[in-house]
Amino acid sequence: MGGIRLQRAISFLAVIGLVLLSAALISATSTDQYQVYLLGNWTAPFGIVLVLDRLSALMVTVTSVLAVGALWYAMTTNTDKKGEHFHILFQLQLFGLNGAFLTGDVFNLFVFFEVLLLASYGLLLHGNGRLRTKAGLHYVVINLIGSTLFLFAVGVLYGVLGTLNIADMAAKIAVAPQEDLGVIAAAGLLLLVVFGVKAAMFPLYLWMPSAYANTSAPVAALFAIMTKVGIYSIIRIHGTIFGSEAGELAYYYAPWVLGLGLITLLLAALGVMAARGLREQVAYLVLASVATLLIGVGLMSPAALNATLYYLIHSTLIAGAMFLLADVVLRGRGTYEDRFESGSCMPNAILIGSVFMIAAIAMTGMPPLSGFFGKILILSAALDDAWFAMITSVVLVSGLITILSMARTGSLIFYKVLPEESVPASECGKPLNRMAFIAVIGLLLASPVLVVFAQPITAFTEATANQVFNSAVYIDAILTTPAVTEESK
Amino acid sequence: MVFAGETLIQGWTWIPAIGLEFAFRLDGLALLFALLILVIGLLIIIYARYYLSKKDSMGRFFAYLLMFMGSMLGIVLSENLIQMVVFWELTSLTSFLLISYWQHRQDARAGARMALIITGGGGLALLAGVLLLGHVVGSYNLTDVLAAGDLIRGHDLYIPILVLVLLGVFTKSAQFPFHFWLPHAMAAPTPVSAYLHSATMVKAGIFLLARFFPVLSGTPEWTWFVGGAGLITLLIGAYTALFQHDIKGLLAYSTISHLGLITLLFGFGTQLAAVAAIFHIINHATFKASLFMVAGIIDHETGTRDMRRINGLLKYMPHTAVLAMIAAAAMAGVPLLNGFLSKEMFFDQALTASNASVWAWAIPILVIIAAVFSVAYSLRFIHDVFFNGEPVDLPKTPHEPPRFMKIPVDLLVVICLAVGIIPMFTVAPILAVAVAGTLQTTPPEYSLAIWHGFNFPLLMSFVALVLGILVYVMRKRLFEWHESGVAHWDARIIFNALLGALGTFASRVTRSFDKGSLQNASVWVIATALLAGFIGFTSVSAPLFGDRELLPVDGVSVLAIAILMIASVLTVVWHQKRLIALVILGVVGLIISLMFVKFSAPDLALTQLSVEIVTVILLLLALYFLPQTTPNETSDLRVSRDIVIALLSGVGVTLLTMAVLTRDFVPISEFFLLNSVPGGGGTNVVNVILVDFRGTDTLGEIAVLALAGLGIYAMLQGMKLHAPDKDSGGRLWNSDLHPEIMQTLTRLLLPLMLMIAIYIFLRGHNLPGGGFIAGLIASVALIVQYLSNGIAWTNDRLKFDMHWVIGFGLLIATTTGLVAMGLGYPFMTTAFTYLNWPVVGKFEVASAIAFDLGVFLVVVGATVMSLVELGKLSNQSHLSKNIEKSKAQLKSQQEAN
Amino acid sequence: MEWLISLAIGVLTASGVYLTLRAYTFPVVMGLTLLAYAVNIFLFSMGRLTVGLPAVIDKTAEVAQYSDPLPQALVLTAIVIAFGMTAFLIVLALKARGELGNDHVDGLDVESESHSNKGVK
Repeated sequence: MGGIRLQRAISFLAVIGLVLLSAALISATSTDQYQVYLLGNWTAPFGIVLVLDRLSALMVTVTSVLAVGALWYAMTTNTDKKGEHFHILFQLQLFGLNGAFLTGDVFNLFVFFEVLLLASYGLLLHGNGRLRTKAGLHYVVINLIGSTLFLFAVGVLYGVLGTLNIADMAAKIAVAPQEDLGVIAAAGLLLLVVFGVKAAMFPLYLWMPSAYANTSAPVAALFAIMTKVGIYSIIRIHGTIFGSEAGELAYYYAPWVLGLGLITLLLAALGVMAARGLREQVAYLVLASVATLLIGVGLMSPAALNATLYYLIHSTLIAGAMFLLADVVLRGRGTYEDRFESGSCMPNAILIGSVFMIAAIAMTGMPPLSGFFGKILILSAALDDAWFAMITSVVLVSGLITILSMARTGSLIFYKVLPEESVPASECGKPLNRMAFIAVIGLLLASPVLVVFAQPITAFTEATANQVFNSAVYIDAILTTPAVTEESK
Repeated sequence: MVFAGETLIQGWTWIPAIGLEFAFRLDGLALLFALLILVIGLLIIIYARYYLSKKDSMGRFFAYLLMFMGSMLGIVLSENLIQMVVFWELTSLTSFLLISYWQHRQDARAGARMALIITGGGGLALLAGVLLLGHVVGSYNLTDVLAAGDLIRGHDLYIPILVLVLLGVFTKSAQFPFHFWLPHAMAAPTPVSAYLHSATMVKAGIFLLARFFPVLSGTPEWTWFVGGAGLITLLIGAYTALFQHDIKGLLAYSTISHLGLITLLFGFGTQLAAVAAIFHIINHATFKASLFMVAGIIDHETGTRDMRRINGLLKYMPHTAVLAMIAAAAMAGVPLLNGFLSKEMFFDQALTASNASVWAWAIPILVIIAAVFSVAYSLRFIHDVFFNGEPVDLPKTPHEPPRFMKIPVDLLVVICLAVGIIPMFTVAPILAVAVAGTLQTTPPEYSLAIWHGFNFPLLMSFVALVLGILVYVMRKRLFEWHESGVAHWDARIIFNALLGALGTFASRVTRSFDKGSLQNASVWVIATALLAGFIGFTSVSAPLFGDRELLPVDGVSVLAIAILMIASVLTVVWHQKRLIALVILGVVGLIISLMFVKFSAPDLALTQLSVEIVTVILLLLALYFLPQTTPNETSDLRVSRDIVIALLSGVGVTLLTMAVLTRDFVPISEFFLLNSVPGGGGTNVVNVILVDFRGTDTLGEIAVLALAGLGIYAMLQGMKLHAPDKDSGGRLWNSDLHPEIMQTLTRLLLPLMLMIAIYIFLRGHNLPGGGFIAGLIASVALIVQYLSNGIAWTNDRLKFDMHWVIGFGLLIATTTGLVAMGLGYPFMTTAFTYLNWPVVGKFEVASAIAFDLGVFLVVVGATVMSLVELGKLSNQSHLSKNIEKSKAQLKSQQEAN
Repeated sequence: MEWLISLAIGVLTASGVYLTLRAYTFPVVMGLTLLAYAVNIFLFSMGRLTVGLPAVIDKTAEVAQYSDPLPQALVLTAIVIAFGMTAFLIVLALKARGELGNDHVDGLDVESESHSNKGVK
């Protein structure tokens, strides 16, 4: 592969550029103004609009930071050379993700979903392996069913409301006649199923653990944002079109999200305990974090959404770090790979083990790292909810189960390390790739940063949550943005 | 300032959204605990320096220890309760690290995990309690919480708060029924046991009892829960301690017992009891820390901690022996030592409590029993270790330890004596401010005198001493009785069984839901979707159908749709014969394109038709590598389940369609019809929507196609497939790959088909057609060449890599959009103008056509690349071996004939 | 007519769902193709059914007499995407056959297992 150096250079420059651009987008949203971009210069609801608000800026930023880590790891471990077209798939994946986070049109969201999905199929299968192929097959088929459902739901919404623009839909649902509400509600829940598949919500997550556990590490790390696409879509689409303006249908979906989120969380915690290898365990940890987010979304209050967004930043970046770290461990353990068997030798075990402990603390929600504060934010937002006792017990019990599982994992992998001399060199893992390890450390740094700068960050997420809940302004901003004319240029 | 009764508070905002501040508070109680932590911590650090061996990593140990010390200080100094929980959990974590410090030892790892699970879990309960507390009070700051005692006690949430907070307390301070983790934590290095598991961390729970004493105490629930747990723990700890053979085990159970004592005192709920509790906290910390250090010295110098082997150490290490005896006497409550003073106060309070109810007389009795055992095990510690004959088979010859290992013990024992003899001049001031800080009011009158005259508490002390000596004398028989039964009761067994059961449960649940089966996953998704549609519809009371006027039915449509439905069902019925099913699937696709014609959608019809052709070719190529038939299902149950789900889906979708089609709606489409010509410059509205109004969709769509092509290319690299040499009928594949008639015909057809493609492309903006359809037609034209002439022949003549075609396509499409940005319009804005070409006449030039060209190129590139790569695969597998093989077979067959 | 179309969509969906739930890759691909057909017609019909109307703008005619163009554009996009997906999936199915040794969706060789059982008999 001759052009790999050039590909890497372009690819890496592109993600760095993306980070800078996202930072610019974040600062552009600081005035609480919606930035509406009329693609093709056609006004909403007729053309497709891109909408930049705090929420989309936040999602794009998280994606870009995660992408830098994943890409760095892929390049330093030569994962990108294990098959064809890694970089173009990676970039188009980002294209799909960013498009999905920015679009203001339901059908366009479908298209971007397909872009990011097909890119993710390619990335998931990158490299080879029996289990990877099998997991990929399952992932593709389930998502194809999901895409079909998406089209059914969008079709119904168009067939009843006559529009595709999210803001316009919200405006039309607000004034829809009572006799149409049943069909609209059915379409809304179908759409929830679609996003539930993406977000890995019970009982739709079955594709997820093995897909995440069997793909290559940088891809799994990047996929940490994939489940959040589902979460984002629920917040954006359902939160807007079935928001406070929707009359009888206002937030009718939320109890389902909450309830299913609770079930997902319990099952995820059990999955963490039952995992047979580190990567599978991390996949279930990601499932648990997604479930926590679903609970936050299901609580449908600005405080809960604030908590959800804080936790989303944390869980995405730390999950990314965790997948990379699992790969570091796997490479270090030689023939033992990431199986939960003790007795391997492992170069640099103390360093890797210490970092693992920090990552595990962050991921399981122990203090003093960000996972704990995210959970506290969510729990204190749940205080006024009728389900508080249930939510708290599920969150804390599942937290305890994950803590004890991770303590077991840590002591199994790092406390029973044999000295290198006592093991044949062929069974021993490779020495730590320090360049690649930078990516793990870099992503993990997000956690202390989230804690130390909790005040400005929660101030931002709080403003974001308030903005999301003010859907009337969103609707108005989009439907009144004028086209560019010769004079207005 | 604290001694003057002030409370110092310093804070910074942290997460204002939930009232979390980074805030510290120093009052009397905090000061007392901070002093304990710092002073004993300092002594432990000196001691540990000499305790650890050269093999142990000194840096790691002290890093953990200092982390722990910081966290512990954080707990006692926190003003904000959430911040306190943060530190609380940090002590659990650092204690995990410290217990498992000797990580090669199985008992250390297991003990550390158990401690983490129990104390960490308790911490989570505490967190929930604190959240509720903050919810009730409206603030997490202690100042506000402490001022809101009446509000909290009167609140509906009082009981949940109390239970949750107490779960935190009992787990941390090893109270029944969570006491069992503490003895297992003794696998830690002895300085850790001395510091964490007697002087400080286990006191964190007690600290919390003191902290919340003004807020939560004073109710019957408090008395029952706190007092009950304390009393049981006191008894269990004292009893079990006597029977330990491990010195540290004895001290661990003794610690549990003393923690129970303090808890019981707080449980009494009176102010005087709280004074006694705080006094005992100080005393216990001093004598127990020194005893642990002594145990460490003994372990260090003899190499064992088994009291059945360590005997008569008095003559080997007299200095240490004296220190140990004084400290143990304090533990037993012997007069003139600090333990005696607080124990007297304790007995006094127990007597006071016995007036509370008819059954409360049992309290002093039980307390005396505990005190008896306490005397007995203290005696055992002294007698067994320092007297009782000669040591048995020690790994090392014992001698006095290094001086700096003794100095910390010296200091602590001096404190024991000083407090015991002259309490008013030593402990009184700090006790007074601590009590004031605890009670948050002026402390009650109490006396620290050694001599209160002959009274009941003194009698109780005396009885306890005498009976304790008696019990120790009778120990042989007691030991036999204990070993025969009670010894085997260990809460750890239950704990491990529970943990094991949880693990089994987790595996069972996980594996039974996540079976790794695609069918299982698909069924869940489809069934959930069905249910979601149903629930959604029924969540609102609205009619299913509207009242829109329906179109009349005509015969041709009925026939076509009937064929469609029959073909669709036949695909299912014959799906096991794959080739036949595929052909019928093609029929379904064809009828659908006819339907699009019928319902005024020629663009769709053209697209559907061309896609159908390419798809069928692709599936045929693929089928070549797959088995020609599908085996029977393994289970009839699954088949019937799937039939039910399929039928329900069919019914659901039918009803959903009708629900929409029977309603009127006002679509935004009128805008497109009105603006297509003036705004988009084309009369084919569908095409204008695709390349202009919703051009971004199309950009995404070609990205999908490009990705499909690239993904397929990537997958096919290095793929090895075994191609069959016979078809399903057992006939050999024809070795004549490229029949001549077909070759000639297709070569002639190529220019014609390409012309059609160009024609369709150019007219697309105004008439049905466009880049996509043209692209597919061109692809088919090229693929036909590959099929009939072979890949090598065609590649020789078609000398560009399809990657470039795809790349250029994407580039052109994107650039078209970007040009508009250069002109100050948004991305994807189109422009058009009319040119008067000579001969041709007026001709429209729209930038959308450039975009459409990008679409065209991507379609051609992706389609041809996928099919050709797949074809190559079959060629390789075919040519390399199989052709040779089939030829050989053919030959042998002929010969046989 | 609406009932007829709805019924056709329903039958296509039912057939598609049944085949999608099969245990071998090829029927699954066919099932998903049928589902794509169903959803395409469905999406198309969401613009309501019209018969015999002009497909392109006739500058002399009234606007109300065209069929709804937007669903058509959506279906076009959907067809293309479905095509890309089908192509990808079928090649993935080949890859799975190559790597897992059979064409069961979970890589379980049920057939050869049952064969070997027969062999034992």
